[in-house]
Amino acid sequence: MTASAAKYTLEQIESLELAPAADHRNLEGWVPAIANDADLRNALEKAFDYRGDVTLTLKSGERIEAFIFNRLTGETLAASRVEYFTPSAPEKRSVSYAEIARVEFTGKDRAAGKQWEDWVRKYNERKAAGEKGIALTPEALD
Amino acid sequence: MWTVATYVLKKRLTGQKRYPLVLMLEPLFRCNLACAGCGKVQYPAHILKKQLTPEQCFAAVEECGAPMVSLPGGEPLLHPQIVEIVAGLVARKKYVYLCTNALLLKKRLPEFTPSKYLTFSVHLDGQREHHDMSVCREGGYDIAVEGIQEAVKAGFRVTTNATFFDGADPQSVRGFFDEVMGMGVEGIVLSPGYSYEKAPDQNKFMGRARSRRLFRAILSNRKRSWKFNMSPLFLEFLMGDRHYECTPWGSPAYNIFGWQRPCYLLQDGYTSTYQELIDTTRWEEYGAASGNPKCANCMVSCGYEPTAVMDGFGSLKGLLGMVRGTFRLYPDEQAKRMLDEPDHGMAIPAPARALEETKV
Repeated sequence: MTASAAKYTLEQIESLELAPAADHRNLEGWVPAIANDADLRNALEKAFDYRGDVTLTLKSGERIEAFIFNRLTGETLAASRVEYFTPSAPEKRSVSYAEIARVEFTGKDRAAGKQWEDWVRKYNERKAAGEKGIALTPEALD
Repeated sequence: MWTVATYVLKKRLTGQKRYPLVLMLEPLFRCNLACAGCGKVQYPAHILKKQLTPEQCFAAVEECGAPMVSLPGGEPLLHPQIVEIVAGLVARKKYVYLCTNALLLKKRLPEFTPSKYLTFSVHLDGQREHHDMSVCREGGYDIAVEGIQEAVKAGFRVTTNATFFDGADPQSVRGFFDEVMGMGVEGIVLSPGYSYEKAPDQNKFMGRARSRRLFRAILSNRKRSWKFNMSPLFLEFLMGDRHYECTPWGSPAYNIFGWQRPCYLLQDGYTSTYQELIDTTRWEEYGAASGNPKCANCMVSCGYEPTAVMDGFGSLKGLLGMVRGTFRLYPDEQAKRMLDEPDHGMAIPAPARALEETKV
């Protein structure tokens, strides 16, 4: 949890009718301005939560397309790092926050547009058109 | 049951505070369904193509030592080496629950060997129309049922597992229980949905008050023919008869990213080793008592069933409660009325109070 996270009392939790919702702003295409350490930490936290690939530009100029699945934060940027997979390498890799100059949310948000209501609407339309065997199919991986 | 009972007793006698009951081993995230709202498989293609090797699976099992292994995903039957993985786990005398949507079950069944250690846990969310809508595939129910029937006929252990979301009709769920028991399955597994942070939808997940009402309506006035492959104390927790705290380390999760912190549902990061997960996770920041909003609606079996199991095997009172719960039918007039009311007693009262801002 973050230092000032909104917390519930047990009484509130027990009386909840609906679950509190996570905030999913559309970050696809976002390039956060990074003016200081806090900006970088915030951008990498968002990248960790993001449901798609991001592109990291290192201070060396190298660009890395990556799915960030972990972040290990320390007191300093040098003591903090993200762990990621790239599309072209089988192994996990990591890079220090201190080496990162820029974060771009370049990959597609893999959950965007997959809401339940969208499915119900499409289903009803296709059903009304007389279609049978209606189904959603997973996206091709190649 | 005997294996789990002796395991829990051994852990208690040796004074071990945190120990796993079920390893949630996700060999891959790839799936052959595209369920709207799914929060488990929203990854780029290069991640969906990755999978654990059998050796990685066995290492994770040896590392944590849990007596039971659940193989969720993604769809485990898409893994080209799933037969080898299951055989290796069975050889290690682990009780394996292969969680599948059963689209490929009939086809792949001949590759497996029946064993008391292997159970196919088939995802069925309800009666035909409900299940097909839930998995976004017309005909999905019929294929799954065909797979179940083939597996039962071939001598495999089979259970069904269902997840319930806001709007579930308790009357239909009870009809569904009749149907699945008629298929010859060993038992039913059920759980309320969890509001995965990565799920596209965030408004379909019941809070605790609504979950308790739904499960009270469903699980009261039981039929003798219904068998549940779950701790009876956990079912009482779902019905609101017991208060339990989460035991997130009871069902640790391992996948291509590593050991998931803190549990199968939440993704607050990963560790390289199981011991690191146990030693470095701030466990006090999770579970209902922590006030963490991410845990607020959770009543899911992977966190609360370990608590119920440890309670059941941890004291004479717990054991008696478990025995009693196994045979009780839970007669409840109010629950009957909830079934008959058009809105099933699911009216939403105004929230008790606003969120409290608390400095940690």
